[in-house]
Amino acid sequence: MRYVVGYTANARGHDAVHLAVALARNHDVSLDLVLVIPEDSPFNAVYPPEAGYNDILNEQAQRWLDEGLALVPDDVTARAHIRRGDSEAQTLIDAAVEFDAAALVIGATNSGLFKRFTIGSVAGSLLHSSPVPVALAPQGYHRTEPITRLSCGFGTRPGADELLDVAVESARDRALPLRLVSLLALDGGNSPGLADAAWVHAADRLAAVGSSVEADDSAAGVPEPEIVVAQGRTIEEAVDRLDWEDGEILLIGSSRLAQQRATFLGTTANRILRALPVPMIVVPRDYTRQSS
Amino acid sequence: MSTAPKTVQSKESSLSEKGLKAGSVGLIGAVVIGVSCIAPAYTLTAALGPTVSEVGVHLPAIFLVGFIPMLLVALGYRELNNAMPDAGTSFTWATRAFGPWIGWMGGWGLIAATIIVLSNLAAVAVDFFYLMLAQIFSNPELGELSKILPLNIATTLVFIALACWISYRGMETTKGVQYVLVAFQLLVLGWFAVSAFAHVANGTAFDATAISPDWFNPFAVDSFSQFAAGVSLSIFIYWGWDVTLTMNEETKNPEKTPGRAATITVLVIVTIYMTVALATLSFAGVGETGLGAGNPENQSSIFAVLAGPVMGPFAILMSLAILSSSAASLQSTFVSPARTMLAMGHYRAISPKFGKISPTYKSPSFATIAAAIAAAAFYVITRTVSENALWDTITALGMMICFYYGITALACVWFFRAEAFRGARAFFFKFLAPLVGGVILLVMFVKTALDSMDPEYGSGSSVGGVGLVFVLGMGVILLGVVVMLVMYRVRPEFFKGKVLTRA
Repeated sequence: MRYVVGYTANARGHDAVHLAVALARNHDVSLDLVLVIPEDSPFNAVYPPEAGYNDILNEQAQRWLDEGLALVPDDVTARAHIRRGDSEAQTLIDAAVEFDAAALVIGATNSGLFKRFTIGSVAGSLLHSSPVPVALAPQGYHRTEPITRLSCGFGTRPGADELLDVAVESARDRALPLRLVSLLALDGGNSPGLADAAWVHAADRLAAVGSSVEADDSAAGVPEPEIVVAQGRTIEEAVDRLDWEDGEILLIGSSRLAQQRATFLGTTANRILRALPVPMIVVPRDYTRQSS
Repeated sequence: MSTAPKTVQSKESSLSEKGLKAGSVGLIGAVVIGVSCIAPAYTLTAALGPTVSEVGVHLPAIFLVGFIPMLLVALGYRELNNAMPDAGTSFTWATRAFGPWIGWMGGWGLIAATIIVLSNLAAVAVDFFYLMLAQIFSNPELGELSKILPLNIATTLVFIALACWISYRGMETTKGVQYVLVAFQLLVLGWFAVSAFAHVANGTAFDATAISPDWFNPFAVDSFSQFAAGVSLSIFIYWGWDVTLTMNEETKNPEKTPGRAATITVLVIVTIYMTVALATLSFAGVGETGLGAGNPENQSSIFAVLAGPVMGPFAILMSLAILSSSAASLQSTFVSPARTMLAMGHYRAISPKFGKISPTYKSPSFATIAAAIAAAAFYVITRTVSENALWDTITALGMMICFYYGITALACVWFFRAEAFRGARAFFFKFLAPLVGGVILLVMFVKTALDSMDPEYGSGSSVGGVGLVFVLGMGVILLGVVVMLVMYRVRPEFFKGKVLTRA
């Protein structure tokens, strides 16, 4: 399996490499670091004309990628690629499709002063159009040890079951504990009744999905999925109230606005993202993992 | 499970060596690129007045003659660009031909010329920005705002900063936008000419002047000084044309498109220049009062004055055309000094900081900001010292182009000296054309430089009894010499020929 890492020679790119390494160590995955350099439009009418800037840029890109590869420890296989394109997001998607990658890993922007995640324009477009899951590293992500727990954001909207499928399967493949997270934003703060209802709903769905998955495989050694319901006046507060392990990652679904087999970060997901202290993976709508 | 890391260059054969999409430009596209580099609406408004002040009614003759040295030098430029594609262009070529000292000054000349044009572009854009506001709100007082010095300087700095930011972010003018900008400019200039001739025919022109064959006779210009000044100004009006000649892989037919596009571009440009020049002279005459093209009040930006009387309520289109084309040029012109500085930094001819590339936007970060600061500084100084900053900067710019283009042309002659006599083609393109072109330009440069010492030269501004144009032009070149000597002390390896060797 391959992951494409959207690499830039700054903190954002480093965060992405760290997360990619962590993910790769859970599973037999090789990394493809892709550095996108812009394709000049001849219609930009640069004058006086010159022909050598491209060489200097390529040389620089090569050096940047060497630095990027140096961040990858020896036990993980990584290759580096220079790609040219008008749009960085589209070029990364093209590379992911070409390499038949299982995910795209990128860093959130590094300009966010107070929020943990602020989305750069590249990440923004990827999160709204990628045909493969997009893993987003929070700013300053340094961890490269394997992921220790998989959380899955769970709601009542259509598509929740498919996401749950993906989550259960991913956790099993990687022998990771799974946690179902239901986030409730309530005006008044806590409501035990609603929380219980959410819990029961999640348990129901899990039982339904779990039985179909376990029918074809025995999941020995993997602990039972945990279900937690977090409440707060806002989604952000609910996220803050949950405990997150350092090595945790949150799986989240795409909005119903997404086109078939594409990601689209919905408003709730966007708010979760803003408060989340751990990396997250946005799964495209109707995404079914090709079991390897 | 670990393998040796390696970087794989994507094997996309659809890219030219310049990093442009290969085969993406057709004939019309190439002409559009050529015309947009010249930016005729901006060029005419900036250069027409100063040229009339030198050569009067012989403006058409000078516009025609001015093309010859540009053509000759451009042929040499193309040979160098093919033999030694390099981001440093004139700097690298002159270094390879004549060694580090002349090469350094060639690079400095190119950077200076582009910096000067940046500040002039921004200033013209600001003038027409306020003029357009005045036209939109039918309130002439808004147009007068650009004459308030602090406000003018502040607005110009904002324009420069914006263009720098856009360039830094690596944003570019797209094909569609460029087509619209170019078509719009040509349309508005044509409209202007037709309206002017209509006024002449209806007897409503300001100073109807009959076109005479004498206007096309360059030998009728009074003195060689005026001739030289006129030619060095008209080099500026064709500056940009040669971009079509240097295209190759990005065109759909590299064999034929560049040559054809260059020919069509020059025909389009000469036609529009002649038409507008004749229309202006017929409508306004060269008198020194009122709307006359000889009136020093009008010469810094002729269309700002004439568009209203000629085009009536549609004058706003002229403001829009000039504002949009100069804004687009402002952004694309930032690329050039930035890349030359980047190359000079890369070859250790200046601080390696200039060689920095932004990891996020992949553009020359330090050099782009340096170019903006230099352009801003140049503008502030000129605007404060000169009575007519636009006029004087354009004259100084003509001089600077003659300087670096002259050096580049002679670099071509010297670089190819061994091949020059291998056949007629090589003799013409690598030897004769650049030699004649380079000598003409350097003669124009020296003559203009000497004449500009006269305090009455150009707009008539002076510093300590010496003409401002001389101070600006020579000052910039002398500053280059000083910086070069400092660089020699700080990082001698480039000057000892250790980085770029002479061919």
